[in-house]
Amino acid sequence: LFQGDLGPFNPGLPVEVPVWLAINLKQRQKCRLIPPEWMDVGKLEEIRDQERKEDTFTPMPSPHYMELTKLLLNYASDNIPKADEIRTLVKDTWDTRVAKLRLSADSFVRQQEAHAKLDNLTLMEINTTGTFLTQALDHMYKLRTNLQPAQSSQSQDF
Amino acid sequence: QAWLNEKFAPELLESKPEIIECVVEQLDHMEANLKRAKKGDLKVSVHRMEIERIRYVLSSYLRCRLVKIEKFFPHVLEKEKSRAEGEPSILSPEEFAFAKEYMANTETYLKNVALKHMPPNLQKVSLLKSVPKPNLDSFVFLRVLERQENILVEPETDEQREYAIDLEEGSQHLIRYRTVAPLVASGAVQLI
Repeated sequence: LFQGDLGPFNPGLPVEVPVWLAINLKQRQKCRLIPPEWMDVGKLEEIRDQERKEDTFTPMPSPHYMELTKLLLNYASDNIPKADEIRTLVKDTWDTRVAKLRLSADSFVRQQEAHAKLDNLTLMEINTTGTFLTQALDHMYKLRTNLQPAQSSQSQDF
Repeated sequence: QAWLNEKFAPELLESKPEIIECVVEQLDHMEANLKRAKKGDLKVSVHRMEIERIRYVLSSYLRCRLVKIEKFFPHVLEKEKSRAEGEPSILSPEEFAFAKEYMANTETYLKNVALKHMPPNLQKVSLLKSVPKPNLDSFVFLRVLERQENILVEPETDEQREYAIDLEEGSQHLIRYRTVAPLVASGAVQLI
């Protein structure tokens, strides 16, 4: 394969493959998926409580925890113990994080900051609020710079 | 990397002909292999899936560039014309031909549909002035690949002062594109 070699595929032995391949094989009923080690009720409870305690964002066990959870629970819930509890726990953590994100986005716009540091945010969270946030910020910026006619901002005339 | 940067950047980035050529060559190579080796259904289907995935990224990248070219065509051509000798091109030769044709077609179209019928002193339209410029001040999300020191963040209003920030490797930020444009071009940060 392009990005490296896979295998060897021997029956009964666990092998690491990219997620897209794993889902495809599972759909064709050729394999059983093994959940990642963080996908366990105890661990997820810890993570959720940690997130609720802190004001800032805590590091997540995997930068793609949301996508992985959704995919694995949809296609391979029979391979995952206590799937429903896991679903609830992850959703709780997600809701907490997204609420924090909404608050901080609100204060960002209100205080007209020019820059924000967002470590520990996963791509899914960023992209969920990202488009709206960047467009809103763009509009605010345009409105603000138009208030200052002496600036070098170029306007277009015919 | 090139695909993500192009997707989130408000302007057209440098064309990367080497990467494109390399990917296309490898795709052709793999297809040829697959055609010959018709044994073992699993291997064939896995390879085929991978080819599809890579092809998707490649065509999404090219489509993104074409959309930007069509959106900003007079500025893109102007930038290419005023480019200094040693600087890398932002358009591949095919894209350049496409942009020129698009411009010529648009001009002919405008002329035939409307301008011809207007009083003589209004028959010119400056496309450079009427087509909106890419908004370099739009905000983008990025991840830092190489540590950078003292990036100047300019103020938006006169009351704010400018301040400098350091970019740690691996951290993620939200900032105006204009501030980090050279870093994107050099590969020090990745837009996400």
